[in-house]
Amino acid sequence: MDDGPLRTELKRLIVAELNLKGREPESIGDDAALFGADGLGLDSLDALQLAMVVEEKLGVRIPEGDEARSIFRNVRTLADHVARVRSG
Amino acid sequence: MSAHASDRGGLALWVTGVGLVTPLGTGVSATWERLVAGDRAIRPIQRFPVTGQRSMVAGEVDGVEVPGPGWSRTSCMAAAAAAEAIQAARLDVRGRRVGLVIGSTTGGMLETEQRLARLHAEPCCHEVPADMLSHPLTSTADRLAERLGPFVRTRTLSSACASGANAMVVAASWLLAGEVDAVVAGGADGLCRLTLTGFNALGALDPEACRPFDRRRRGTSLGEGAGFMVLERAGAARVRGAKPIAELAGWATGAEAHHITNPAPDGVLVASLLVRALARAGLTPEGVDYVNAHGTGTPVNDAAEATALARGLGAEIARIPVSSSKAQLGHSLGAAGAVEAVITALVIQRGTLVPTSPLDEPDPALTLQHVPNEGWRVPEVRAALSCSFGFGGMDTVLAFRTPDERERPSDAPLRSAVITGVAVAGSCGLVSGVACATLPDLRPAPAAFDPDPHLDAARARRLDRSARLGVVVAMRALGDAGGKDPASGVVLGSAFGNVDASAAFMHRVFEKGPRAASPAEFPNLVPSSPVGHASIYLGLHGPAIATADLALSGESAMAQAFELVSCGEAPCVVAGAVEPSSGIVERVLGALFASSPAQAARGLVDVAAAVVIEDAVQAERCQRKVLARITQVLEWRQDAAGAVARLRAPPPGPREVVLGRGSAGADALLEKTEWRACPRVSCAAAMGESDALGSVAVAVAAARIAAGLAAGVLIVGFDDPRGYFIVLSAA
Repeated sequence: MDDGPLRTELKRLIVAELNLKGREPESIGDDAALFGADGLGLDSLDALQLAMVVEEKLGVRIPEGDEARSIFRNVRTLADHVARVRSG
Repeated sequence: MSAHASDRGGLALWVTGVGLVTPLGTGVSATWERLVAGDRAIRPIQRFPVTGQRSMVAGEVDGVEVPGPGWSRTSCMAAAAAAEAIQAARLDVRGRRVGLVIGSTTGGMLETEQRLARLHAEPCCHEVPADMLSHPLTSTADRLAERLGPFVRTRTLSSACASGANAMVVAASWLLAGEVDAVVAGGADGLCRLTLTGFNALGALDPEACRPFDRRRRGTSLGEGAGFMVLERAGAARVRGAKPIAELAGWATGAEAHHITNPAPDGVLVASLLVRALARAGLTPEGVDYVNAHGTGTPVNDAAEATALARGLGAEIARIPVSSSKAQLGHSLGAAGAVEAVITALVIQRGTLVPTSPLDEPDPALTLQHVPNEGWRVPEVRAALSCSFGFGGMDTVLAFRTPDERERPSDAPLRSAVITGVAVAGSCGLVSGVACATLPDLRPAPAAFDPDPHLDAARARRLDRSARLGVVVAMRALGDAGGKDPASGVVLGSAFGNVDASAAFMHRVFEKGPRAASPAEFPNLVPSSPVGHASIYLGLHGPAIATADLALSGESAMAQAFELVSCGEAPCVVAGAVEPSSGIVERVLGALFASSPAQAARGLVDVAAAVVIEDAVQAERCQRKVLARITQVLEWRQDAAGAVARLRAPPPGPREVVLGRGSAGADALLEKTEWRACPRVSCAAAMGESDALGSVAVAVAAARIAAGLAAGVLIVGFDDPRGYFIVLSAA
């Protein structure tokens, strides 16, 4: 299954919901780190907001704790999780 | 200022009465006995439905009966605790000049959050919604004044979870300045859906009862309650035969300027506050026998706090017992700092340490001397500290000591304060410096002011409109002053805080359930959020305080900042007020709290203003251009005639009266003063009516003096029967 449209949708959500003004969704690489200074620079509060938004808009719940950490590594891992839950 | 030449003990500040309402019991003795026994009050929430909430437990106070409109649970608990403190101190409020300071974050949110959610859907009311009378933070001070007053001055402040502790800092500054004979100071907050949902959205609550300092800790538990103290100068207290419970000997408050929800892991700011509070108290860590920690039980708070305590207290941290009362009481937010200050004072008086209960598996990563599960008696507690930390990195440390007869000066050296920068934003656009002098003549701009071009988009992405407006005017005022001192504080006034956003948040929660609550939005609903954002954005580490005083919120912020500078709490404070346009304020709250029909009118426009208030000595050292000198700040609650009598004569040269909001009665007020015939300057025509106008008026007045238009200006904020006089003169 092609996750391309899902990744595009996630990038759009990240920019809009985390208020990353001036950032083009397409400029976020599929494998770019979302968190930490050498990536998109998001932090724990963004992770909570993103989890809430993904649950509301895509109907997929993000588990808490260490599991969330690996899901939120980058857009590809997040898309994989969403696709996995949806097909599950 | 009054001289107290005969005061033995001079400036020592005594705690002469305390009162508590907590989930462990109503009254000091009920709470104290159960605290020492290690009892825990965290239980399944009964106050409101909690379906869908991650954590469904909290500490709740039983037996609170809300008497009627205007009263909230917050106010009821505050009234009970304040009454107990006043009675314990045997203080005759009528016979003395007594002030009231209240720290809070929720006010009447529990009673009004359902109405707010409906107002979000339809922001108008066909009948006067009396159930909103208890909504504003200031309603608590108003109810206490009616029931326990009169108080000569009152302050309602919010510094997130350090609010209750900062009430003590403000009380101390009033006493040192000789403005009052005694202060009733405390904090109160009632549990509500908004805070429960918000802290759950942040994942900050343990689904079970919280376990501070335990290696399995997963979050805090909320609580509610009120704690109050009567504070007075030792000399005056001794003269009237009052006995001390403890001495409030030291305090320090500041901001981490780090993150809106997360504590700075390095603990550097808190460590510096510990050092400053001890220095003010004349103590070293060797003299400290107990620390009542903030100890929320979140993984990051307890780790950062242990780091800060080790940094601030050095090797002595291996000896000093530390405990958190939140395991037993829950975290009562704006009340916590005051409740825990009372507990810390009692620890000194009674020579008994209170525990962290439960504490079964202490986290080995936190090298603290715990008091696990049960209190214990010790031979003596010479001095004890209470730590309080809040959202936005607003931190306060209080130091209490056993009262003694040490010699102290009988009067505090008060610093002279000057205004070195001003900025105003609103329908006039963004105006700063001397250009503010002609602001009253400006025609409103056709388009609303947009703060965004003045901000860095990435760093401002979490700021809501209030915070954006506040940051822009504070930044511009500091720029006008010629640069910022990182030790500066931030004070912003607002009558109703972010009421529209709170209404939207609760509407969503009621419609879609707690899981739909936005974690990123919740921190912006805390009344002190614009202050926190400003200190973070601008990198300011001084005191961070939001004030509220309805139509006079702008004036209250000015008075607060002036006190911080003149009492030496900060070398510089950027202070102002922010009122974003709000449908709910315009159509509901504005009318409800207007003291006259004219007061009800207000424009649907954003108004923000800030002035830089600086220690005159520092301003001279930094070679700042001084716009104006602050020569007098007077506040009254009922006794306008008394304030008029104390109003100093204007300086020689041209003089003016600049009017903020609610200036209808100003002429009658000034009839018997030398300000009677002075030209009047109104800010309302150019800016639109707003509760922030008091700050605009001060900015305009300072600019008019700097422009040479006046040698002396009186700013009048009058909302019958309350008011402020602020007198500026040429430097």
